[in-house]
Amino acid sequence: MASLEPPAAVTPPSSKPNLLPLPSPTIITPSAAALAAVAPTTSSSSPATLSVATPLPTPSDAELVHIPSYSRWFSLDGISECEIRCLPEFFDSRSPSRNPRAYKYIRDSIIKQFRRNPSSKITFTEVRKTLAADVISIRRVFDFLDAWGLINYSPAALSKPLKWEEKDSKTSQHAADSPAGPSSDSTPPVRETTKWLCGSCKSVCSIACFASDKCDLTLCARCFVRGNYRVGLSSSDFRRVEISDEMKTDWTEKETMQLLEAVMHYGDDWKKVAQHVGGRSEKDCITHFIKLPMGEKLAGSAEFGSGINKLNQMKDDNSSNSSSSGKRLCLSPLADASNPIMAQAAFLSALAGTAVAEAAAQAAVTAVSKVGHGEANAHFRSLHGVQGLQITRALRRQVMSYVFLYSDASITSNGSNKLKSSEEARSGVNTMPEEKVNVEEELRTVAMVQMKHIQEKIIHFEEIDSQIDKEWKQMEQMRDILFYDQLNLLKHERSIRKTGQQAAEGTRAG
Amino acid sequence: MKPLPSTSSKTPVKFRMPTSENLVPIRLDIEVDGQRFKDAFTWNLSDPDSEISVFAKRTQKDLKLPLAFATQIAQSIQTQLTEFRSYQGQEMLTGEKIVPIKLDLRVNHTLIKDQFLWDFNNFDSDPEEFAKTFCNDLGIEDPEVGPAVAFAIREQLYEIAIQSVATARESRNAKKGRRGEYSSISSRSTGAALDLMKLFSNRYSVVRKRKEWDVYEPMVDILSNEEVNALESMEERKPR
Repeated sequence: MASLEPPAAVTPPSSKPNLLPLPSPTIITPSAAALAAVAPTTSSSSPATLSVATPLPTPSDAELVHIPSYSRWFSLDGISECEIRCLPEFFDSRSPSRNPRAYKYIRDSIIKQFRRNPSSKITFTEVRKTLAADVISIRRVFDFLDAWGLINYSPAALSKPLKWEEKDSKTSQHAADSPAGPSSDSTPPVRETTKWLCGSCKSVCSIACFASDKCDLTLCARCFVRGNYRVGLSSSDFRRVEISDEMKTDWTEKETMQLLEAVMHYGDDWKKVAQHVGGRSEKDCITHFIKLPMGEKLAGSAEFGSGINKLNQMKDDNSSNSSSSGKRLCLSPLADASNPIMAQAAFLSALAGTAVAEAAAQAAVTAVSKVGHGEANAHFRSLHGVQGLQITRALRRQVMSYVFLYSDASITSNGSNKLKSSEEARSGVNTMPEEKVNVEEELRTVAMVQMKHIQEKIIHFEEIDSQIDKEWKQMEQMRDILFYDQLNLLKHERSIRKTGQQAAEGTRAG
Repeated sequence: MKPLPSTSSKTPVKFRMPTSENLVPIRLDIEVDGQRFKDAFTWNLSDPDSEISVFAKRTQKDLKLPLAFATQIAQSIQTQLTEFRSYQGQEMLTGEKIVPIKLDLRVNHTLIKDQFLWDFNNFDSDPEEFAKTFCNDLGIEDPEVGPAVAFAIREQLYEIAIQSVATARESRNAKKGRRGEYSSISSRSTGAALDLMKLFSNRYSVVRKRKEWDVYEPMVDILSNEEVNALESMEERKPR
């Protein structure tokens, strides 16, 4: 799939006929077509507003409820696991006023209020005035519903990304936003050395242009003023770029290598990295680093899956990732905040539950392997296969979340590869084959040693076997001899008895 | 279910709101630069104080008030909460406590007048439930009325609770050691409480006197815009 949806969307499409989930910003289906699709599923009443299935006078009056596809689990009839997880204070009976019934009452009233007028945003204060409950509970539920897009969500008014998407780094946002806006088919601007092309009107920018880092878009001054940008952006997302200092914003290969070196040495200390690169501010370094293709990152994250130190050492040299991540060999807790992407993945997998995250990660790995991004991918899979038996369940869980991250990262890199110069990607990938060969050799020796060990054991057992056979034969022989002796003894006995009897008879007779 | 204390218990009880949830009624009336902001809501005591500033900012943003409001709102909430907390831990008397609650409020276009009796000793009582049923039964459409009614009830219960704390302190100071006097003192000094026995002793019937019927009947009035404006100007003139 083109866009990476958070794991909550893995659940099967909802069976509720009245909810029309949409993948995050796409065009609204015309109501007639949608109604036609929904009509066969409901029995007699026409598709109506969500709360009650009362027949409405004409289909054109019927209201469609739009919720984002990752909120498909929601239903007005009950409380789902996701809600229990996100708002635990209502369900752990710590406070008498916070119980599931109160939660449902607050939630349903807020949603009904919003749906009465879905085109306008409902504010917390409006809601608060109409609910007989304590304001903090109302606020929590309101924030929860807002974050999941169950209220104040209309595809036409997506003025800001949803709350927990804001925490995302920019790379994930590349993947999550699959823009359907007018300027989407304009490829991000071709940054020739001297010219800037506007993303929407395709004219050369002359004096100043406006660039948005959020989604890598450049607009000339005219387009910016006219407001000719995509739905998800606002004017504050653009920063003004004077053409005169445009020369500085291109990262040469040398600078990139310096950046990678610096990051490897200094890790998260961006001040030193900026110094090392020379001529770039900290912020520039950070933004550029994040935008680098994820080839290096793949190698870095692959090490966590195996538990074997040898491999880790190898990968450490190879990874140009921050050195702090290289140190995390053992089972560090997932939510390690020093790496924002890791923290995000942990947060997402916590939100969605482990089973879902595992399933998503599996799906992501298989999808990515089909795409076939470089040898690193196949490499990782072979690693995973060989070591799979040795990974305990705890490690496996980590692998899945890291693989999830990996697939996330690789997909974004797939997307962003079009933008970046391919040399960077190649330079990172070129070091891969040698490492791969080394690792394979090591694997081979390990396997050989194991096999010898097993062979010796077999020989040993064979010897024991033959020994036992011999002893068995001896035993049998002895048994035969014994039997023979017994027989002789009996015979003798009988003959002696007979002669005795005869002798006795003889003396009596004579 | 908490076991109800017996009606004749004279043992003092720790101060708390006599409702099933320990929610504090907060009333805001802030004026900044000529802009007046009035509000009333309930607050859960178990919430941390960090929520106060968050809530104040949220309210200020939602209502597009100038920034100075946020701090004032937070301050006001904080003072009221500390006041409530100062009462906690002290004792209040629970004697025979049937208190009349009067509703006399105007919410947007709806005017409500009502009076009823409330059992102060019933710590499982729920003003919110009462308000919900009230609005349903009287067919009130404005959704803001319910919480306003609940709030009014809570406020009055709060006042009475404060009074009973005061009287408990008084009686403790005045009469040390003489335990038998409590019931008469409590029913004397808390003028708000009604003695059920007195009510019933005359007639041996539970039916109210006819002249009191109008008082205890709920009255709901829907006002027109002009009346609302007139009332508002009158209200604003009153405190000044």
